[in-house]
Amino acid sequence: MSFAAAAEAVEGHQPGEPPLVLLKGVSKSFPGVRANQDVDLDVRAGEIHALLGENGAGKSTLMNILTGIYQPDAGEIIIEGYARSFASPLEAIAAGIGMVHQHFKLVKAFTVAENIHLGWSETPARLSAAVLEARTSKLAETLGLAVRPAARVDELSTGEQQRVEILRVLARKARVLILDEPTAVLTPAEAQELFKALREFVARGNAVVFISHKLDEVLEISDRVTVLRGGKKVTTRETQGCTEASLAELMVGREIVLNDLRGRAAGAQGVSATPVLRLERVTVVDALGRKALDDVSLDVRGGEILGIAGVAGNGQKPLSQALTGLLRPKAGRVWIGERDFSAAEPADFAAEGIGHIPEDRLASGLAPTLSITDNAVLREYFRPPVALSGLFRPGAAKALARVIAAAASVIVPDFAMPARNLSGGNQQRLVARREMRIASKVLIAAYPSRGLDVGAINTMMNYFVELRDAGVGVVLISEELEELMNLSDRIAVMFQGEIMGVVDTASARLEDIGLMMGGQRRGAGGP
Amino acid sequence: MAARLQRYPTAPPGVALAARAAAIVLALLTASALLALSGLNPIALGQQVIKSTFGSRFGLEDVGLLVTPLIFTGLSVAVALSIGAWNIGAEGQFYAGAFATAGVGLYLHAPAPLMLPLMFAAGALGGAVWILVPTLARAYVSVSELITTLLLNFVALLLVYWVATGPWLDPGGHALGTTARIKYEVPSFWGDVHWGFPIAIGLTIVVALALRYTVWGYEVRISGANPNAAIYAGMPSRARLIVVMLMSGAIAGLSGFFEVAGTVHRLQGGISNNFGYLGIMVAVLARGSSLGVLAGAALMAVILNSGIILQTKGLNVSTVLAITGLILFYTAIGDELAHYRLIWPKRAEA
Repeated sequence: MSFAAAAEAVEGHQPGEPPLVLLKGVSKSFPGVRANQDVDLDVRAGEIHALLGENGAGKSTLMNILTGIYQPDAGEIIIEGYARSFASPLEAIAAGIGMVHQHFKLVKAFTVAENIHLGWSETPARLSAAVLEARTSKLAETLGLAVRPAARVDELSTGEQQRVEILRVLARKARVLILDEPTAVLTPAEAQELFKALREFVARGNAVVFISHKLDEVLEISDRVTVLRGGKKVTTRETQGCTEASLAELMVGREIVLNDLRGRAAGAQGVSATPVLRLERVTVVDALGRKALDDVSLDVRGGEILGIAGVAGNGQKPLSQALTGLLRPKAGRVWIGERDFSAAEPADFAAEGIGHIPEDRLASGLAPTLSITDNAVLREYFRPPVALSGLFRPGAAKALARVIAAAASVIVPDFAMPARNLSGGNQQRLVARREMRIASKVLIAAYPSRGLDVGAINTMMNYFVELRDAGVGVVLISEELEELMNLSDRIAVMFQGEIMGVVDTASARLEDIGLMMGGQRRGAGGP
Repeated sequence: MAARLQRYPTAPPGVALAARAAAIVLALLTASALLALSGLNPIALGQQVIKSTFGSRFGLEDVGLLVTPLIFTGLSVAVALSIGAWNIGAEGQFYAGAFATAGVGLYLHAPAPLMLPLMFAAGALGGAVWILVPTLARAYVSVSELITTLLLNFVALLLVYWVATGPWLDPGGHALGTTARIKYEVPSFWGDVHWGFPIAIGLTIVVALALRYTVWGYEVRISGANPNAAIYAGMPSRARLIVVMLMSGAIAGLSGFFEVAGTVHRLQGGISNNFGYLGIMVAVLARGSSLGVLAGAALMAVILNSGIILQTKGLNVSTVLAITGLILFYTAIGDELAHYRLIWPKRAEA
């Protein structure tokens, strides 16, 4: 027995037994993005294997390749020793690889039993509700997942829906269960139940791939962890011996290029002594009654760039909406200067000098089917020169659109052209310039560089520096730590609707930010 | 180097127009083929239709009478569409407007010069009241106006049938299933063509100008194109939605007013001639432009008038409806196809 084999035997991996899943040199590119580059991964029977990385690190792409949703550009998929290629998720599940996606793919109007049997070759040809429900109960019992077969899916809690999804995959005799951020939608108690079920599942000789960016749960549940960064594999390690700090460092990396834009030019306005925009213990509740923002306090000062870090979906959108009046707080107060704007309308925020580059510019920042002129004047249509005593003046509107397009260096051949015909970068620059015109106090910029190329990103960043030097406060929400480190004076880190802490960029350590992104609370000047 | 079809987000206007023309020609060709199959001579019929429609003053007057309600109902649907609402209930609002007009005309006794303005107001109000509940349901609890406006059509239709055959039945008993003749009439200015025709055109132009040249119109257009952008920009988009939908109902109600007070002079079941539903077609043909409503209504009026002529030649009324259906069908296909262009890809670089 060789030394390597002996080492493996110690881990409970039998010599000679091939891993359940072996990926070798997998690469996948999309236009403009190299989502996976030469990634190796092995998943062994009996283990829970965590796949850790920031948004966009390539975790989901890799698993979508493994389950046949995407085809790899290069590389091999070897299942239990045999090279395979999957043209569809159906072929993958036939080979024992099943995935539960972050957004459930259940038919809401169907019962649990119907969902379990949907699109399954083993579904009996003569079906009745009673038969399906009996089969479902039996499956649930054998696999140790409690579900209510007769309940309609839309009556179920998210935790129960997830169990149905898992049961659906396991019923098809999956040996490898892939879970994409499974705890994002669960309460802590539900998460513990899930972990218990997963441990039982792997104890029967199966394997789980657990996609996550939460450090604490990776440490709690996984046997080994593979870290991806920027589409490449960083390492695979035994979880035992890892700490949150070491994982955070691996996940965030040290390769951040510092191109410091934090220095002020001569003559720039300093940071204001008092906040211009302030959230005081603000709680916001979403449509489902969950706390989208939980007791958040935040000061924005004039002449500073305040970065908001965090994995996307941890409350950044409600934060930007609360700061611009689009969401009214359920508890707490919003202040502009000394005035209470907690019950004000979005128009009042705009009139007071709060600009907003929304994260989904096509969905809310623009009316894509209307002309560039109509879109350019969205913030100033009601006041002279565009409007005179209730009349809208297309000529004046076009003149203003020209000014904004020139400031944004966007060449517009025809201002009557629908805004959707512009490239994403040009749309974003127009929106940014339009908002900068009204942002006399604060600009809220949500993911302003998303989908832009390097040149456009650079332009965007210089806009923010320009505003900051003019004494305007900028709130920069981003998932690019590099961007935040280069620009922000302070960085607040969000996790599950809360602010984990606010740090001064000058003295901040990346590891600390990584830890806070994973749910640890710390930092000076925090709430 | 095979050519392939590529879909573009916008259709060039020239191509879109050509696709429209081709759709109408194809619909007529299909209809001709069907007529030929059933043993009729489509060319002779076509000549007959053109001669009777455009070759005589009576034909043109008939078209003028048909186009008026179509402009109103088409404008009604188009106005609602400008803020993103589908008013399928112009038919019901037409009936409600006609009902209110007849009620005032028959039973209110005001000084004669006031009667027409009162009936006009009643017609508009009737239409607006008919769309009120769907409007509030959409504005406050996001209930689809498609269903609510559609269902209220049947209520209005039955209401008019009932009053015309029951409580409001002509006591003179000259005609079956209609009210007595209403003595206040919208004056005619060219044969039978009454002032509803120029008023319809004028109203369409006013609406088009309001949408283009007022702050209110800008807010309506933004709210219609992207409700989220309207909220983001702090526009009172709910108030705009309510007003625009009520306007839409009122305009359809006016269609009923002019039909009762200008053309039929009585209230009777079936008075709408499906003008409300045809208004949907007019608005679709107009591609969301208020002025396009005028062209769409004119086309539809010519087709309806042709239908009346064809009926005298022994053709079924369903045939005519089938032709209008074919035009809409081909237009929808043509509009979609106008987005495609043939692409010859360059040889891929190694």
